Amino acid sequence: MSSKETFNQISPSEFFYRNRDLAGFSNPTRSLYTAVREFVENSLDACDHSGILPNIHMTIKAVDPEKPDPKQYILTVKDNGPGIPSKHVPLAFGTVLYGSKFGLKQARGMFGLGATMAILYGQITTNKPVKVKSNADGKTRFDFEMKLDIQKNKPVIMKKQETPSTEQGLSVSIVLDGDYAKAGTKIRDYVYQTSLITPYATITFDDPKGEKFHHKAIIRSMPPAPTVIAPHPYGIDVETIRRMLVDTHYQIPNVDDKMIEKVRKELGMSKKKFTYDEIMKKTEKKWKSLTRPVRVVISLMSFLEADFEKLQRIRIEDVDLRNNKLTYWDYSTSQTLVADMDVESPYYKQLANTVQGESLTHFLNKRFQRVGPTAALEFCKFAKFKPETRIGNMTDQELVKLSDALQTYEGFRSPDPTCLAPLGDGPLEKGIERRFEPDFMAVVQRTASAYSGFPFVIEMGIAYGGKIETRGTTVYRFANRIPLLYDEGSDVVLKVVKDTDWNRYKVKNDSAPLIIVSHICSTRVPYKTVGKENVADRPEIEKELRLALQFLSRKLSGYMSKKGQAEMAKKRANLYSKYLPLVAQFCTELSGNKKEPNYKQMIKEEIAINNAGENKEVEKNG
Amino acid sequence: MAKKVTKKVTKKVDKKEKIDKSKKLINLLKNHGAQVYEDLENGEFPKFSIPNRSISNIIYDKKLRQYILGTNTSLRSARNSSQLRSFTQLLWLAFFANKLTHEKKSSTLRDVYYSSQAFAIDFEDQQESDNIIVDLEAVLSQPREDFYVFPEERSSIFGDLTIEYTIPGYEGKTQNLSSHPDGYAIGPSMTSAQLADTSAELVIAIEKGGLFTRFVEEQVDKKFKSIIINTGGQAPRSTRTLLKRLHDEMGLPVVILTDGDVYGEHIAMVIKSGSANAAHLKGLTVPDAKWMGVWATDIDKFKLPTIPMTESDIKRCYDLLKDPRYQEGLWKRELEVFIKIKRKAELEAFSKYGLTNITEKYLPKKLEESKSY
Ligand SMILES: Nc1ncnc2c1ncn2[C@@H]1O[C@H](COP(=O)(O)OP(=O)(O)O)[C@@H](O)[C@H]1O
Ligand SMILES: [Mg+2]
Repeated sequence: MSSKETFNQISPSEFFYRNRDLAGFSNPTRSLYTAVREFVENSLDACDHSGILPNIHMTIKAVDPEKPDPKQYILTVKDNGPGIPSKHVPLAFGTVLYGSKFGLKQARGMFGLGATMAILYGQITTNKPVKVKSNADGKTRFDFEMKLDIQKNKPVIMKKQETPSTEQGLSVSIVLDGDYAKAGTKIRDYVYQTSLITPYATITFDDPKGEKFHHKAIIRSMPPAPTVIAPHPYGIDVETIRRMLVDTHYQIPNVDDKMIEKVRKELGMSKKKFTYDEIMKKTEKKWKSLTRPVRVVISLMSFLEADFEKLQRIRIEDVDLRNNKLTYWDYSTSQTLVADMDVESPYYKQLANTVQGESLTHFLNKRFQRVGPTAALEFCKFAKFKPETRIGNMTDQELVKLSDALQTYEGFRSPDPTCLAPLGDGPLEKGIERRFEPDFMAVVQRTASAYSGFPFVIEMGIAYGGKIETRGTTVYRFANRIPLLYDEGSDVVLKVVKDTDWNRYKVKNDSAPLIIVSHICSTRVPYKTVGKENVADRPEIEKELRLALQFLSRKLSGYMSKKGQAEMAKKRANLYSKYLPLVAQFCTELSGNKKEPNYKQMIKEEIAINNAGENKEVEKNG
Repeated sequence: MAKKVTKKVTKKVDKKEKIDKSKKLINLLKNHGAQVYEDLENGEFPKFSIPNRSISNIIYDKKLRQYILGTNTSLRSARNSSQLRSFTQLLWLAFFANKLTHEKKSSTLRDVYYSSQAFAIDFEDQQESDNIIVDLEAVLSQPREDFYVFPEERSSIFGDLTIEYTIPGYEGKTQNLSSHPDGYAIGPSMTSAQLADTSAELVIAIEKGGLFTRFVEEQVDKKFKSIIINTGGQAPRSTRTLLKRLHDEMGLPVVILTDGDVYGEHIAMVIKSGSANAAHLKGLTVPDAKWMGVWATDIDKFKLPTIPMTESDIKRCYDLLKDPRYQEGLWKRELEVFIKIKRKAELEAFSKYGLTNITEKYLPKKLEESKSY
């Protein structure tokens, strides 16, 4: 995304039009669908991260039902989530790029753009404000009506009102140009499939035609929420490293009253007046227990030979290590003074460390996942950096070299998947079972893997027969608990499914009531387009998908042969019931007997055997 | 070795023989039924043991001079779900055959196919019911004619032969087969009739209806004291049974006249020693029957107009060369000449020398010759 300066120079509509395709707002059909997604996904994200079982109610209503499509619709999405504290509401929905999801963990929303873009689209097409009702504490609900001023990247609050209310949660309502006649199927699919991959959520949708779609939660427990973790070296670029360096790099502390108070406290010299010598003596005793900022301040005092009073009168301007000079401003005399620094002094090292930043190995070890002290040393050897290189001293070229080396070094363990939140076998299975009521189903969760430093997990389910009404293979694709509905043509999941030779698994490809549910979880799903609808075919992801599908197909194959046997048994029983009576009749006449032989028991036995083999089965990945 | 019959033979066949035969068959069927009944009563799945009719189990019996089945049998069990249907069909057919034999009602292959439908026995097509009929023949080692199932194809007979019907409604009635110049169809009533009396000394089996009519017109029956039979191409089994009976019961030698081609030669061979198709049955062959012509060597000898052989004619020649029955004598020699000249001649070819040429010139000459081989 472009920087804030750029927003300031263009009009709101210009900003919108420059980015609408990327964000999925290219026409009234697509826009209505995208707006639905953005709000529903925000609600689900918010509930997930606060551990609340989501209950989401969406309404789409035509402003004037008589008019033909495309026309104005009111879209309202209400949830029971954590809400947004009232002071953050204007920022969250009134500014571009305000988001709380920048950390590295799996989330549905990604760029702090979604809701704002939908609101902006509504504002541009209908000139109506967005209405937000937020209750973050279960006591007070704040109702806002706002418009966006993109020039200033600021919301304009038109109405604000407080009401006591115990119902926690958030409701957003916009008016926008949409085409429900065309988008309706997709939106209903979206709601349905979302309920499939979020079996712990209750989702209700009142559509403009007065139809109600209600998907009740199937399970009452939530899968564990994803955690925020440090980035993996493979997933990093120069810009990110630069930003990380800046906030790792120690600053010379601002020596204000607060700081001095802290130094006194740590030395245990709070109350009285102390001489410089007394201070240094105490420091030697206490050094080990002092915090870093305090150590830095005392080092400065040592070169300035300052007691607390003197320290109060000065401001440090520069620590020049090359010339071993300390420059400071003296308030009492209003002049800049310079002190020499003794290189031999133990305090010199403390200062140097602070200014130069920590060592490269230390930095790598502390700021990245999967980089232990040994791995950091090994890496430095590989990248031809001295391990003790100070990060504060690194030039731009060195940063580029570092970033390149981080991505090419093969020694790092693969990314930590704890930041991922797959649904898990149980909930996925429950979801599939309740929504499709199949005769057979199996689910699998692969172990985590990674592509380009981004961890991912594949989970997949397969279902066959029962109440499945579709014929042929139907694939439901999900990524980070979002259904993917558009652009199916070029998706990696579909490619993998298409490559499968179903005959091998005793499945008739074009007539089988077969459903495959595929879920890719990653801190960054490699979407092919910004519209987030299809997943690019990274070899690592493709491989995992293949393995998952193979595992499930083999399970299905096992079921199919058992089913085949059961069907045979049934057929056999039918044949016996049909033919044995005839056999009995003919042989009776042929042999000249009066009474038919007692053969009925034979048919009964056959049917009993057949029934024993006919039990419905659910497979689980142990 | 030809048995010369000079005096008028009057041979009354013992009626009892025929009655014993159907009694024997009825007993056989009853035994099969009783076995199935007993199995069911014991809670066991009944089964039939059927002689295997696949190529690998068909062998040529040199002593019998015909194809017979080897000792391989296959089981058809009611337990096996893929065999249960055909097991039931077979049992039904046994039941149906029993009925036909009891009531002396004749039926055809097609009749059987339709009759099955009254008993909820679903044959997919007539092919399937025909196969079951052959299965029952194999199980009983009896031709289907014995249980009153006759072929649709009819060949015909003409000459001084008196028969006595045994079919219901005609029992005891006699008929002389020289009263109607178109000949008499060889159908169920003929096949089951007693052969009562004949003055003939010879049976001439001829391949084609046209020549049969010519022979009747030319009074070949009288001139050569013969019974003339039109086989209508490959002789149907009922006709072969009749030929055998004329030979065995009336002591008449049988000669065969066919087109001068490989198919003609084989028509003669089938009458003489049977076909692989009927390897499961005995009593259909006339080992002493003689192929009188038209031979390949006759073509040149009698200067017959010819037609070139087709590819498939030639292929057929080579196929037969591998048959054990074509390994020696006349059969081998003529086949090799056909292959050499690659031409063939039909019986009608004699007409080039006048319509009566065949009966006046060729036939006497060949009959005379036939006494010496
Ligand atoms: N329903 C909601 N409940 C609580 N917080 C929300 C909700 N919707 C949005 N937010 C907050 O507003 C922020 C901005 O949302 P959005 O513009 O969609 O960006 P993104 O979802 O990409 O972070 C979110 O990051 C979240 O902190
Ligand atoms: Mg969002």
